[in-house]
Amino acid sequence: MKMKFSIYRYNPDTDKKPRMQDYELEIEEGSDMMVLDALLALKDQDPTLSFRRSCREGVCGSDGVNMNGKNGLACITPLSDLKGSKVVIRPLPGLPVIRDLVVDMAQFYRQYEKVRPYLINNDEPPAREHLQSPKDRAKLDGLYECILCACCSTSCPSFWWNPDKFVGPSGLLQAYRFLIDSRDTETQSRLADLDDAYSVFRCRGIMNCVDVCPKGLNPTQAIGHIRSMLLQQGV
Amino acid sequence: MNLLKIRNHHFLFHNREDIDIVNKNRPVNLNLATIKFPVTSISSILHRITGVLLFLSIPLCLWALQLSLTPAGFAEVKSVMSGGIVKFISWAILSMLAYHIIAGLRHLMMDAGIGETLEGGRFGAYSVIVLGVVSAALLGVWIW
Repeated sequence: MKMKFSIYRYNPDTDKKPRMQDYELEIEEGSDMMVLDALLALKDQDPTLSFRRSCREGVCGSDGVNMNGKNGLACITPLSDLKGSKVVIRPLPGLPVIRDLVVDMAQFYRQYEKVRPYLINNDEPPAREHLQSPKDRAKLDGLYECILCACCSTSCPSFWWNPDKFVGPSGLLQAYRFLIDSRDTETQSRLADLDDAYSVFRCRGIMNCVDVCPKGLNPTQAIGHIRSMLLQQGV
Repeated sequence: MNLLKIRNHHFLFHNREDIDIVNKNRPVNLNLATIKFPVTSISSILHRITGVLLFLSIPLCLWALQLSLTPAGFAEVKSVMSGGIVKFISWAILSMLAYHIIAGLRHLMMDAGIGETLEGGRFGAYSVIVLGVVSAALLGVWIW
């Protein structure tokens, strides 16, 4: 079975503008493969095709791309999941393209840095470690699993229009992960950092983030919790 | 060599200005026609569009309201409102208002933590669109 692909190409040294290039791949009848395997096979045909990948099992978060209009990880998206006669692969939307499917993630990481994504505890250091009850630990489930692939933030219209001011779904999920951590003592200053018209409140509940997250996480819900915390602090 | 230096800086995220130099000519993939939007985003953009159109219709509505405050003006507005196109416009405004209110109620529910899961969000968005269409149909029956 011949499968058709249309892939976004841009080479900064030779191209003025990006273009779509068609490819064909022979796939054994009745078999399936991940989009990343298809991309690697296409790279054998055309070694100039560039994309990021590393662990090839949905853990490292490097191969986030837009497949048939939806963001996801190429390594854990089977070709059979993509409907239509042609598989269209484009880079993650909204971020500057360095080359082909490789985007510049600097804006995304800058928002991540802003939320101080590390535990801060200003109490006297304990003799061994900061203890946490299983109940408090359970509050981090659904938050700590984020792999920073940027699928969510680059599917979010609020992030497209304000990538410098809106923290974005990924950053806010991480922000909540530390706001709710019982061992963190900087809750108040973390909330104060987010208390403006853009950082959190540019979220309009569009839920594209939840729709695309390859780890099945829910940034919309985390943002809702941050809003409630900000509200509680305000009254 | 110079180029190499700029690029190295960029990968280390040292200096914002260096990044901007490199960024200047980079394309951005943001052709909305190539992006698939789930039902939650359709219901959201309809909320925004109806909001903008309702805002633009405020002068028209206020003007009609002011005109209708005298008995003679009321009769005039009433006769204008019975015209085919004007009927359609008032139906459109009322339908958009109905959709906007229903979508707004969903927002309030989501603020209260209801319907924030993927399934809940999809159900809410579908419900808002279906209820919006039903209200538009009922308003049409009422007006015509």
